[in-house]
Amino acid sequence: MSDETIDQLQPQRASRIGVWAVMKAILKHKVSCVGVVIIILLSLMAIFAPLIAPHDPNEQDLYHVLENPSRKHLLGTDDVGRDLLSRVIYGSRISLLVGVAATIFAAVIGVILGLIAGYKGGMVDMVIMRITDTFMCIPGLILLLVMAAALGPGLHNIIIAISLIGWTGFARIIRGQVLMVRELPYIEAANAAGASGFRIMFRHLLPNSLAPIIVAGSITIGGVIMLESAAAFLGLGVQPPTPSWGKALRIGYSYLEVVPLFSIAPGLMITLAILAFNFLGDGLRDALDPRLRGQGKKIE
Amino acid sequence: MKRYIASRLLYSILILFFVSILIFTLARLMPGDPIQAAAMINTDLANPEIMNDLRAKFGLDKPYHEQYFLWLTDFAKGEWGDSLGSGEEVLAMFLRRLPVTLELFIGATFWSFIIGFPFGIIAALRRNSWLDASLTTTSIIGVSIPVFWEGIVFIYLFAVILPIFPPSGYVPFSESPWENLLSVAMPTFVMGTQTAGLLARYVRSSLLEVLGQDFIRTARAKGLREKAMLIRHAARPALLPVVTVIGLSWGYMVAGSFLVEYMFAIPGLGRMGVNAVFARDFPVIQATLVIVALNVMLANLTVDLVYGYLDPRVRIH
Amino acid sequence: MSKLLEVKNLSTHFFTDDGLVKAVDNISYSLNEGETLGLVGESGCGKSVNALSLLRLIPNPPGKIVSGKVIFEDQNLLTLSEDDICRIRGNRMAMIFQEPMTSLNPVMTIGRQLMEPMEIHRQMTRGEIQERCLDLLKRVHIPEAPTRMNAYPHQFSGGMLQRAMIAMGLTCNPRLVIADEPTTALDVTIQAQLLELMKDLTREFGTALIIITHNLGIVARYADRVNVMYAGRIVEKSTAMDLYKNPRHPYTIGLMASVPRLDQDMKKKLKPIEGQPPDLIHLPSGCSFHPRCSYRVERCLNETPELKTVNENHEIACWVDVRT
Ligand SMILES: Nc1ncnc2c1ncn2[C@@H]1O[C@H](COP(=O)(O)OP(=O)(O)O)[C@@H](O)[C@H]1O
Ligand SMILES: [Mg+2]
Repeated sequence: MSDETIDQLQPQRASRIGVWAVMKAILKHKVSCVGVVIIILLSLMAIFAPLIAPHDPNEQDLYHVLENPSRKHLLGTDDVGRDLLSRVIYGSRISLLVGVAATIFAAVIGVILGLIAGYKGGMVDMVIMRITDTFMCIPGLILLLVMAAALGPGLHNIIIAISLIGWTGFARIIRGQVLMVRELPYIEAANAAGASGFRIMFRHLLPNSLAPIIVAGSITIGGVIMLESAAAFLGLGVQPPTPSWGKALRIGYSYLEVVPLFSIAPGLMITLAILAFNFLGDGLRDALDPRLRGQGKKIE
Repeated sequence: MKRYIASRLLYSILILFFVSILIFTLARLMPGDPIQAAAMINTDLANPEIMNDLRAKFGLDKPYHEQYFLWLTDFAKGEWGDSLGSGEEVLAMFLRRLPVTLELFIGATFWSFIIGFPFGIIAALRRNSWLDASLTTTSIIGVSIPVFWEGIVFIYLFAVILPIFPPSGYVPFSESPWENLLSVAMPTFVMGTQTAGLLARYVRSSLLEVLGQDFIRTARAKGLREKAMLIRHAARPALLPVVTVIGLSWGYMVAGSFLVEYMFAIPGLGRMGVNAVFARDFPVIQATLVIVALNVMLANLTVDLVYGYLDPRVRIH
Repeated sequence: MSKLLEVKNLSTHFFTDDGLVKAVDNISYSLNEGETLGLVGESGCGKSVNALSLLRLIPNPPGKIVSGKVIFEDQNLLTLSEDDICRIRGNRMAMIFQEPMTSLNPVMTIGRQLMEPMEIHRQMTRGEIQERCLDLLKRVHIPEAPTRMNAYPHQFSGGMLQRAMIAMGLTCNPRLVIADEPTTALDVTIQAQLLELMKDLTREFGTALIIITHNLGIVARYADRVNVMYAGRIVEKSTAMDLYKNPRHPYTIGLMASVPRLDQDMKKKLKPIEGQPPDLIHLPSGCSFHPRCSYRVERCLNETPELKTVNENHEIACWVDVRT
């Protein structure tokens, strides 16, 4: 049987994600629109940071440390006289980079393990799922602290550590999806037609599971940004002088009474970023999960 | 029911075994060996003789599998080792700090209940109204707002600008109940915010789902008034998924306690954990991880049991 | 016989995202004490919505009773206060639902659910209520009633659950019981048993009964009178006898041909009505049935027929006379 025929047998062909359908659904969902707008603004800020930032984020001015907002420094200065606004603008780079990169790696690990577990079943499934259960017994932040302590500080290590933590959710979702889809006639048809295991997994099972991956992905990015900044707040983050919201918060916290914006401004940015991805995730869920769509159940 | 409990217990034990391996591995991922890692930070230990003594004491000179079983048996016997930093017995440290963190957990749960339940119930009963929209949006904000930022804003507002609460520190209940409550008010609220938001959302969606079910219509058709219908028919089934979230949140509140205890300078287990990580104090790290995992698992087990109690379909089969 | 229920120009609409659904569109009928009325029509034609409207159980949003009167025991149920309608529900007028599995609370014992109507409407002691429930369970042929009272719905079979539902509907000895496809989910022999049982019990207590079904065979056997519904409207209204002998609406004729008849040779081939039931959001112009009707004339496309009397106990809403 050719793939074309198998595709024709596929019942939820329509539920494969139509980009336009999703965009339309998001536009209809007010809250997720807000999310998308914030995400676009943050991304522009990260990309064009050198153009927007009024100062070099690393330029120290030891005569003007810990200043409150002024004409020259709209948000004031930090403990070594760097312009806070510029550092907040540049800080978006780290948060977004870690958020997106770690989520992608985590999704790849999770999707592969979830596909294998769901498709192979039996002992393989048992072991993979018990491993995810095991990881889920220790909250992400605590795992991250220990891993970061072991791996050492630095951007790469943070991303690696978070990826190694964040995959479990994806694995569970994919496995659940695969178990659901596996029994559908067209998959059985593909099986009967002698399609190879990998081919079935990637060409047939994966596309059907994309919707929940995307929803989980959006929410995971928010979670990763929270993790990264929490770790930075506790002192495990990227190395100085790289501008990072979490780091700024950590240092600014000690000067809360003198220059409140030093910690409050970067914290607000972290919150906005997390919020935006959660808003988007909410809208995506409504758009992609037909079960949650629509109003009221029909009475029979 | 007995079979059900037994199977949940068995499962927990299996996971506990896996978790112990994970923890053991994590503690040994430290650069060099755990003692060397600690010595790099704590210069008091940076002496080959002391280091070798410590290695021998913790059995680090033995092969891995022996180390693992040694650790496991000692831990089960309550011999959790001594902190590399203070030299204090880890078990004693744990017992001293446990009540503090427990108080935070209970306080945070309290806040999350008195906010999350009303929010969720009202949003569900007024679904698709502006009230629903604002409560639901507030809940997402509650879920999204990072503990440490909320903490800072609260300290700034209610300790710096309006000095109502102490900005940090902890007063034991036995010393002064009133000051104790003041000192934990902000930390527990901040810790409970995320759970409150989650709860509100789950209560809303679960109640909505139940209210759309056929048996609710049957209850109405019998002549039950709205309130009685909610209490007698909707509450219990709607609670089922909510119980799961409560359990999950309880388990994951540990992360909140790490942050909150750090920023509010509260001498609980979270602060002990943070300090241990930065001092590479591996006996304390190991013990903390075990406690954290046990807490999550106990929460899950409790959820299973409550579930069995609430749902006869689970209980009877 | 005195009039128990009179429905006048009742309309119930659903305001959905996709458009307006006129699930019940301006229908009128009445029912006498102790009488049995059959309500038939294909699925989706508004039978359940009609029934739920009587007790004001329409989920709002998206549904709303937009006009009409439901006069039951001389009061208009649609203008009663919430408290007063609650006093009627389950007490004077009770409902038996279609899906016993989902219509009973899964986390509550059968006994508690069975006793509930009396706890609400009767000033009786627990013991008295319990006694009556046990008695009712026996009457609906549930064996080992005392132990069954403490069981949960998932421990019952479908047929047993439906028996329990029937008992629940009858506990307060209502004047009217509405049974919404009470037997569709069950197999044929149990269906017949349950219908007999219901018929016996209502006859015994002098209870009026509305049986909703899409099976004309059931109606012919158990109902005194019949309303045939199509796309939210009543298209034929008659005594059961007359309808069975002389169906006058093309839709009814189609329905008759599509269900097995007890008085006909079983080998005769059943012929379903051609075409699909209409989409209530985009109803055809004129008579909603015209696209599927083999008798249609020009007029059917443009004008909607109202019910008109063809003989003393027979009304149809159709432009053509099928007998010519
Ligand atoms: N809760 C609801 N929301 C929207 N439409 C509904 C709802 N309940 C019923 N309807 C619509 O009303 C029409 C009649 O439904 P119903 O009375 O259940 O049909 P049936 O004759 O099978 O009992 C259907 O077309 C259905 O789409
Ligand atoms: Mg129906």
